[in-house]
Amino acid sequence: MLELTYADALREALREEMLRDPRVVLMGEEIGVFEGVYKVTRGLLKEFGPERVRDTPISEAAIAGAAIGAALAGLKPVAEIMYMDFLPICLDQIATQAAKMHFMSGGKLKVPMVLRTQYSLGRVHGAQHSQFFPSWLFQVPGLKVVLPSTPHDAKGLLKAAIRDEDPVVFIESGVLYRTKGPVPHGEYVTPLGQCDIKKKGDDITIVAVSRVVHEALAAASKLDEQEVTAEVIDPRTIQPLDLATILESVKRTGRLIIASDDVKSGGIGSEIAARVVEEAFDSLDAPILRVASPDTPIPFSPPLEQAYIPNAQKIIEAVKKLTG
Amino acid sequence: MFKIAMPRLDPAMQSGKIVEWLKKEGERVESDVPIVRIEGEKTTFEVDSPGPGIVRRLLFEPGTDVQVGQTIALVGAPDEPLPVELEVPETSQVVVTERETVVSAVPRIQEAAASPVARKMAREAGLDLSKIKGSGPGGRIVREDVQKAIEQMKTRPEAIVVSAQVARAVPIAKTIKLAGKRKATAERLLYGFHTSVPVTITMEARMEAVIDQRKDLQKRTGEEISVTAYVVKAAAKALEDHQMINSSLEGDELRLYGDVNVAVAINTPDGLVAPVIPQTNKKPVLEISRGIRELTERAMQNRLTVSDLTGGTFTVTNLGGYGVELFAPVINPPQCAILGFGRTSEKPVIVEKQVRVASVTTLSLVFDHRIVDGVPAAQFLERVKELLEDPTRLD
Repeated sequence: MLELTYADALREALREEMLRDPRVVLMGEEIGVFEGVYKVTRGLLKEFGPERVRDTPISEAAIAGAAIGAALAGLKPVAEIMYMDFLPICLDQIATQAAKMHFMSGGKLKVPMVLRTQYSLGRVHGAQHSQFFPSWLFQVPGLKVVLPSTPHDAKGLLKAAIRDEDPVVFIESGVLYRTKGPVPHGEYVTPLGQCDIKKKGDDITIVAVSRVVHEALAAASKLDEQEVTAEVIDPRTIQPLDLATILESVKRTGRLIIASDDVKSGGIGSEIAARVVEEAFDSLDAPILRVASPDTPIPFSPPLEQAYIPNAQKIIEAVKKLTG
Repeated sequence: MFKIAMPRLDPAMQSGKIVEWLKKEGERVESDVPIVRIEGEKTTFEVDSPGPGIVRRLLFEPGTDVQVGQTIALVGAPDEPLPVELEVPETSQVVVTERETVVSAVPRIQEAAASPVARKMAREAGLDLSKIKGSGPGGRIVREDVQKAIEQMKTRPEAIVVSAQVARAVPIAKTIKLAGKRKATAERLLYGFHTSVPVTITMEARMEAVIDQRKDLQKRTGEEISVTAYVVKAAAKALEDHQMINSSLEGDELRLYGDVNVAVAINTPDGLVAPVIPQTNKKPVLEISRGIRELTERAMQNRLTVSDLTGGTFTVTNLGGYGVELFAPVINPPQCAILGFGRTSEKPVIVEKQVRVASVTTLSLVFDHRIVDGVPAAQFLERVKELLEDPTRLD
C-alpha cells in the first residue's frame, strides 16, 4: 500500500486513465499551466500536452457544453468546475442536455463525460464558495453522482466514473485534498453504486457522506469506548444508491442516522430516511435522525462555520438521543 | 387547587369517557360551570368546576376512557404549584425535539410509544404492548424490551400473553373497541348474570281488554298509547303488593325499596338503555305512555340525564315489536327481577270447551332466586296477568 493524499490519488486516477485510453481529455479553469488550484492536475499538461489538457475561459456553461460536445463526438472528457458554487451556472447543460441525450435519442447517443467539482465547506471560504447541494443533482434522472471520502475511493471511483458511459458528476471535498490514506499499488477500479462499510457495528447505523465520513468514524470510535458500536456506511455514490447495504445494516441495528454536509431540508438524509421508512419500517427501533447543516447560508466567521458544520460531537449527540 | 375526578354516577359505573373539554387550559372558570362532557355507562353528562379558578391542567385527550376516581383536571390559582405527580416528568423532555413549545406539553395518558420493530415483534408474539415497560428514550418500548418480554413469556406465560398463537389463525375482519353504552351493557349484564341466581317463569295473558281500553284512550286523547305502558303500569301496581320483588340484595342486606320506579329498556343505535319512570305505580297509564315516549326520544338523541338513568327498582323489557314470542331477559343489576313480554298475537284458546280466537301475550319474569322463591314470584306474575286482563283496575 502507498500513502497518498486525496488530491494525489485523484491525479493518479486521471493519469492512469489518460495513459490507458487516448480519448480521455481534461478541461477546466487553471488546470493546465497552473496545474489546478488544488494541484490535482499537477504535471499532466507537461506529460500529455495541450491537446489533452486544456485551460478554458472562465465560463462554466461553456466548459460543460464543450465537454458534452466532446463526449457526443467520441471523446471521454473530464471537465472541472472549480467550486461547486459555480456548478449552477452550467446546470442547464448538465441537467437538461447531458442527462437527457441518451434517453431522448432512443439510446443512440451517449454522453460519457465526468464533471469534477469540489465543495469547500469547513475551509472558511464564505457563503459563496462553500456550498454543497448534491440533492440538486441526484434529482436529475440520467446523472450519476459520486462523493468519495478517502484517497482509496477517490482514485478507484474516478477511474470508474471515467470508464462509465453516462454523465457523472464527481464531487470532491476540498477539506480532504491534503488528507492521506492507503492506496493500493497498481490498477484497481471501485465500482459505482456500492456502499462501503467503513466500520462494523451492531447498535446503530450511521450513513455518512464525503467529509462527514471521517466525523462519523471519530464519533464511532468514541462511542466504542461507551460500548455503543456504530456501523459507519459510506454510500460513495448517491446516484445510483446502494440501498440494499443500508437496509441490511438498519435491519440489524434498528437505528439510523444520516450525516452529511448538505442542508437538512430535502437533502441526502431526507432521501435515505424516506427510502428506509418505505422499505424497512418494521425494522426501525427508533426515529431516523439527520445530522446536517442548518438551513441558513454558510457563515464566514471561522467559529461560526465550525458551529455550523456537522461534526463528531453532533453525531454523538444524535446517537445518544436514539440509544438513551 | 381543585382536583376534578372522574365521577361515579351509578353503583356499577367503572369508567367514563371524556367526550369533550368545554374549557381550555388557562381559561378562567367559575364554580358550577361545566368544564367537561363525559360519556358514562349510561349517558352523556357534564361535570361542573368545583370552584372558581384557572383551568391548570386537562389531563386526558378527548376520547380517553378514564377510571372512576382518577383525576382528570385541575383548577386553581395561576401561580399555585401543581401536585408533584402531575408535573411534566423529566423523561418526556427527551423524546421531543428542540422546540420549546413542544417540551412544555402536558403528559397525556395514552398508549405507550413503541418503535416499529417493537410493535411488529409484539404483534407476532401475541404480546400486549401496554403490559411492557419501555426502556428507550422517553420510555419508548424498543426491541430489547419486547425481546425480554418474550423471554419472560417462556417462563411465566400468564404474565403477558394476551392472544394465544392459535387465535391468530382466525382472520379478524374488524376490531371494535368496546366503549360507551355497549361497554356499559356488557359489564352490567355480566355483573348481573354472575351475581344473581336467575330463574325464569312464564305466563300467558289475554290482551283483549288492554287492546280495547287502549283504543278508547287513543280515541279520547288523540295520542298513540303504547302497550308497554300498560305492562309497566301492571307491573308497578303488582309490585305494591309484592315488595320483596321491588328490592335488591347488597352483600347480606336485602333492601326493599320505598318507591316503585320501573325502568324501561330502550334500544338505541348506540346500545341498550333503561331510563326510569319514577313512582310508576302512582302514575296513570296515559302519563306513563307519554313518559316512555319522551324518554325514547331523548335516548335516541343521547340526551338522557343521570337522574333519568338511576333509581330503577324493576325493569320491563319488550321484544314483541320484533316478533319475539317468549324470551328470558337478564336482570338489570342490582334489581331483583325483570319482566319481559313478547308479541301480542291471536291464538286459539279454549273457553267453556269451545275453541276461540284470543289476543295473547307471553309474560316472562326473570327473578333472583336468592331473594324470592318460585311461589311468591309466580303470585306476582299472576297479579300482573290479572291486572292486564282487567285494566280498569290499573288507574
